[in-house]
Amino acid sequence: MFSHLFKLIWNKKKQNALLIIEMFISFIVMFAVFTLVVFSYNNYKQPMGFDYNNVWVINFFPPENITRNDSVSMFHDELKKTMLAMRQIEEISFTGNNVPFSMSTSNSSINYGSHKNVMANMYQAEETFNKVMKMQMIEGRWFTKADDASKYTPVVINRKLKEELFGSENAVGKVLGEQIIEKGTAENRFRVMGVTENVKDKGSYQAIENGMYIKMDSGWARWSGTMILKVKPGTDAAFESKLFKTLSNAIGTNIEIEHLDKKLVSKNKVMLVPMIIAFVVAGFLIINVALGLFGVLWYNINKRRGEIGLRRAVGATGDSVSKQLVGEVLVLSTISLVIGCFFAFQFPLLNVFDLSAGIYLAAIALSIIFIYALVTLCAFYPGKQAAAIYPAVALHEE
Amino acid sequence: MLKNYFKIAIAVLKRRKFFTFISLFGISFTLTILIVMTAFVDNITGANYPEVNRERSLYITTLQQKNVKYFSQQNGPASFYYLDHYVRTLKTPAKVAISSLFSPTNTYINNKKLVINLKYTNDAYWDVMEYKFIEGKPYTLQQINNGERIAVISEDTKKNYFGDVPNVVGKYIEADNVQYRVAGVVKSVPATMFVSYADLYVPYTVSKTDYKHKSLMGNYTAILLGNSKEDLPKIKAEYASVVSKIKPDGGFDVFVSGADPYLGSFLRATPLGDSRNGGISKLIFIGSIFVLLFMLLPTLNLININISRIMERSSEIGVRKAFGASGMTLVGQFIVENIILTFFGCIIGIALSFLILQVLNNSNLIANMHLTVNLTVLFFSLVACVVFGLLSGVYPAWRMSRLQVVTALKAQ
Repeated sequence: MFSHLFKLIWNKKKQNALLIIEMFISFIVMFAVFTLVVFSYNNYKQPMGFDYNNVWVINFFPPENITRNDSVSMFHDELKKTMLAMRQIEEISFTGNNVPFSMSTSNSSINYGSHKNVMANMYQAEETFNKVMKMQMIEGRWFTKADDASKYTPVVINRKLKEELFGSENAVGKVLGEQIIEKGTAENRFRVMGVTENVKDKGSYQAIENGMYIKMDSGWARWSGTMILKVKPGTDAAFESKLFKTLSNAIGTNIEIEHLDKKLVSKNKVMLVPMIIAFVVAGFLIINVALGLFGVLWYNINKRRGEIGLRRAVGATGDSVSKQLVGEVLVLSTISLVIGCFFAFQFPLLNVFDLSAGIYLAAIALSIIFIYALVTLCAFYPGKQAAAIYPAVALHEE
Repeated sequence: MLKNYFKIAIAVLKRRKFFTFISLFGISFTLTILIVMTAFVDNITGANYPEVNRERSLYITTLQQKNVKYFSQQNGPASFYYLDHYVRTLKTPAKVAISSLFSPTNTYINNKKLVINLKYTNDAYWDVMEYKFIEGKPYTLQQINNGERIAVISEDTKKNYFGDVPNVVGKYIEADNVQYRVAGVVKSVPATMFVSYADLYVPYTVSKTDYKHKSLMGNYTAILLGNSKEDLPKIKAEYASVVSKIKPDGGFDVFVSGADPYLGSFLRATPLGDSRNGGISKLIFIGSIFVLLFMLLPTLNLININISRIMERSSEIGVRKAFGASGMTLVGQFIVENIILTFFGCIIGIALSFLILQVLNNSNLIANMHLTVNLTVLFFSLVACVVFGLLSGVYPAWRMSRLQVVTALKAQ
């Protein structure tokens, strides 16, 4: 049966070559689309890992007249005291500008021992940071004021970084190193105080990344122009305006208050809009291909009326005729899918774009199913039409 | 002759309506997507309101400092001091506009929060940009030097802050805890205009951060306006000679900056960037490859359909060949027919794009963005059309022209 179908296809190889190329490119397009879909869906399924409701972000230009480290900490303490005196504010932490759902990132290469070197997001944080974010600890504890005295900078790492650096080993108490080239010194050293649950701080559809929360030292504090704070539920704009005035007077430079839930909406939009555009374009291409395929198959079957009539005359049922025609198209698409898979499998093999192999495999499987479904759908109606050919009518035409 | 081809083409189109529909659908939608995309690109990179002088302007949006030994580098906008000291003093530019990046701040009216994007500018900014003043006028050099708290606001800000009132010049607007007197109201700018977008424009002298601070990096960008397009190379050269004498900040040993056309000034700091024109040609190259790839699938589709259609007419071809028509004549005829088809697709595509752009403009996807099909876009679409028609017509026509008379006639 198959060898027969192959022979039929081979006899018209020139005509079929174009169809094969068309299906092959459609497969590649669908592979790209499905990779994006599977990747985003996988990320979307993961829990956020923290509570972003009622969390506000305050951005300001650090005042330039404060230069000495001790005056910075005095300035920060004073600010915090003023703010915590307001009963709507539950907790505050100074941090770097890579707050959740912002456009800024800050990463560096971290190594453990001498053999691991991985990129991780670096978050400057204070001892209250986890309470503002409502993060869950899975090992050890968050750093406290008392840790300031220790020789190494205290840090908390997230689950992903822990698994990457330590595997199943215990991470608490271990010392990590950071390569800091620009200072010219060899390394910075960190002691892991605890491990926290992964936090999806780049948006709902973004992948979880390695994260390390570093206790902010006074050198960093000098340049910190960002605070995050947890407010009581139901805090309104009237309070926000009061807070704004208070801070504006206390800091004296440009400030801005943002809400994390609103930032999440706009951050997701940044991810979703290009995806939707890609879908619209891919959808149009696929409709185009489907119509074309349908037209060509329809035409081909009309051209082969004589052949089909003859087959019916020698006893083939209408069903088997339409099966043969659909089968021919499926063999054609199989050829193009084999070529397509050859290219698609290079992605997990060469580890392009740093996605896990599972995503690529799922995308390949989905695209194969999609192309088969599309092709069957396009061949179904012409096939049925062929089945309805009466041998007497068809052969009479000859 | 052409008239004959035209008549035949119409007759063929009418014969198999389904095929005609598929062809037209493919052509028109491909074109629509291309036109809408180019309209977006054109809107962002073209000389649109208020930066209508982009043709004769150069932008300085990023400075770069490098430390060769440690491979470290710092990219970012310049400080006001740098631009005022090294750029404003250049002799060749007619005007130098200096403005800060817009930075968001809040204001609260009637217990409602309003995000206001603030931009600090110098006086030349209002000459280089062609803002449309709905009322009032920009602030003057005198007012800037006096450090007056005076502001130009956008039309949207006027509506959001003051509500539906006819006249707001002279009234006070509070932003970032400061009261500014409104000097003028300008037509709003879409947020895609990175350099000229803001809600509230105020003199740099009222900035809360120290604008006299003497580091190179800061928060400001500059636009250098030449008297004509021919002046631009001279401005570039003069700026380059100034840059070569500037010492980088402590910790760095190389200082790089250049005055580039709008798009190039942003590309400079990316891997695409180069020092000549900021990597625009590379971007165009990548863009064309993308467009070609995008057009590949619809073209293949069209080729497939065209082959079916042409083979259907094998008897006609056989007869014409038998009466002495050469292969070239036949190829010519089919290409002309195909171009007529693509031309119809083109018209539908352009009509569709107008419709979609209207919908996009009305949906306010990006506030104040007004997408238009301009002449360049239309020209390139027509070029794309002809290429499309040729690409999808040549191969089937060639296949057809090689048909033997006997087989062609026998196929009947």
